Amino acid sequence: MSTENNQQSTNPAGVLYRRCTVDLETGSVQLAGVPCANLEDVLGGFGRSFQILAARDITRAYSPENPLIVNTGLLTGSNVMTGMRSYFSAYSPLKKSGAGLPAAMWSAGSGNFGNKLKWTGVDEVIFENRSEGPVYAVFRDGADGPVVELKPADHLLGLTGHEKIMTLSREYADAHFAVIGPAGENYGSNYMGAVILSTDNQLKSGEPKSRFAGRGGMGSLMGYKNLIAIVAQSPDKLDRITPAMRDVNRDIIKSLGSARFQPVSQGGGGGTWANIEVLQAFHAVPLNNFRPKGNDDVERLYRDNVEKDFEVVSEGCFRCGIRCHNNLFHRNPDGSRGKLAAKFDFEPLILFGSNLGIHDATKVTQLIHLCDLMGMDAISLGTTISYLLDYNERHPDRRLLNGATFGDFDLIRELVEQTGRGKHELLGQGVRRLSEQVGETSYAMHVKGLELPAYLPDTNPGYIFAIAGGHMSMGTHMLYAKEGKKTVDEWVQAITTGGLLQVGYDMIGLCKFVGVGIGHDLIVNGIREATGLEFSSAEIVASVRRAYLRGLALELRQGFAEEEYTLPSQVLADPNPNVALPSFIDEAFLEELRRRVWSVFLPEMEGLVPERKN
Amino acid sequence: MQVTVKLYALFRWRLFREAVREYPPGAAVSDVARDLEITETEIGIVLVNGLHADLGHILQEGDLVSLMPRIGGG
Ligand code: SF4
Repeated sequence: MSTENNQQSTNPAGVLYRRCTVDLETGSVQLAGVPCANLEDVLGGFGRSFQILAARDITRAYSPENPLIVNTGLLTGSNVMTGMRSYFSAYSPLKKSGAGLPAAMWSAGSGNFGNKLKWTGVDEVIFENRSEGPVYAVFRDGADGPVVELKPADHLLGLTGHEKIMTLSREYADAHFAVIGPAGENYGSNYMGAVILSTDNQLKSGEPKSRFAGRGGMGSLMGYKNLIAIVAQSPDKLDRITPAMRDVNRDIIKSLGSARFQPVSQGGGGGTWANIEVLQAFHAVPLNNFRPKGNDDVERLYRDNVEKDFEVVSEGCFRCGIRCHNNLFHRNPDGSRGKLAAKFDFEPLILFGSNLGIHDATKVTQLIHLCDLMGMDAISLGTTISYLLDYNERHPDRRLLNGATFGDFDLIRELVEQTGRGKHELLGQGVRRLSEQVGETSYAMHVKGLELPAYLPDTNPGYIFAIAGGHMSMGTHMLYAKEGKKTVDEWVQAITTGGLLQVGYDMIGLCKFVGVGIGHDLIVNGIREATGLEFSSAEIVASVRRAYLRGLALELRQGFAEEEYTLPSQVLADPNPNVALPSFIDEAFLEELRRRVWSVFLPEMEGLVPERKN
Repeated sequence: MQVTVKLYALFRWRLFREAVREYPPGAAVSDVARDLEITETEIGIVLVNGLHADLGHILQEGDLVSLMPRIGGG
């Protein structure tokens, strides 16, 4: 990003970003400085990419016209702690409306790829069309600006995501990587391929410690485009840390919001893992396809129980003091640290653990590890498999695929591997299509075609207004457990004021684990210190709100109908008596919620996206 | 008066899972937290007899107080 005459600016139009358009069909590359049209363009991430997507009429995700947009946020590559996010946006192969049109989606990830891409001098890449043969794209910081090349990628095919990263790292020093796994390569039968991002720790240790931009099948779209990997090669270009920047980072580390994710040894809450124990107090941890039984099975996955068998090591991304990763290592017979088993965070832990009827940490680590190597979105895969197991348990006489039901570890492992290898389209296409195909949709845990994360829908009507993943784009997923809120008034308020602002972190390039509201002084100060740009808290909040509403307007334009703004019907028709929080969501509640939320949002959405041309 | 205290996650690791403790009549949840050296900013959720409550909630003989740390995700 640059400003006109390198002046400090408060005007988005005075800010330019550098766009690189790569035509994968012809190999042509264009670089252009683009003036920002609004603050969303300046902040970046999906706030910018969704404006590009809104300008296109896309009816099929797997079509050459569907662009893959890779970009960063304003603070990616800056000294603000956690500033390293990269974003992948496109019309999704996975999320589609009842009208059959693909939804616009974005997916975000950490690791060091975003930084390196930014340091090559590129803020945004638009990959147009598709390559005839497998290629990877290299972005390099050249003497006269960014240098871009497409290279054959045949040698990478069939490798796991980690193997691809390590192979490329031997060829490209001082670089980071965004790659797909076997799942993305098998895009025709797997719509939930993730983009796998390298980390410093991974390149140094050789251990598979990648980060993932998982949601919405952006890795599958890369596979369709025959784009197997992206290399970003540049020396690190961090500015000198000023005293004011040091204050910003000190405030991040000291914020109560980030403390929840910091290591226990540092006085923190130990990451999202602690959620299990708190949610279990309400018997609200997903079990056997989001249907807790009111028992204590899940306690075997509590941190202190897992620590009996594994060494838990808190690690983090490049220069991040929050260090939210909980990496589990085997213990050698002599007690020393052995091989990495897997990363253990709330989502994969539950979705490959209790929600599949598996409560043995060793087995859960194997499933997480395998899903990661295959390069699939853990949420989409876990939730689709749990549906299959549920179906098989309900129909012992006509079981699907290998007949697995809850707890069948060996059979489930086989399902993960085979889905990653493109052998099980039934699972790879996600739970919405699967449930529609077998004709039992009531217990398919998705909203608007995107699989639910590991928070019960029984406790979160906010899911219906999430635009890119249930807990990533609407910050209401733990509201009920935390505050006991259950009136329509409270939920309208939560969705239309605080909840939607969660997406701001998917614009500016920071992690949500910074843990403060997007309009917080810390964000305003961080932007000022890192970029010289001066935007008020109110301006940032208004911009994030517009970006969210543009996303919602795009959903409507892609044919999402009123009746799709709902929860899985089992939640409404058959409330689970085992959840210790009183059931409060029924049809009447949702109808009233929808009516009131739309009455706030619809007037603000007018004119945010152009009409479809066809 | 006697109050049963249940602790979760890092509070449990640090102290205990469940214990019956003595407090003077009129004690509030915040007095329990102080007694256990849990700072108020560490606390995310308070339940009294299974219902959400705040730190100022005045306790009665035989109450069950649950204290949980701040959690998050996303
Ligand atoms: S908060 Fe966690 S995921 Fe985010 S940058 Fe820090 S270590 Fe990485």
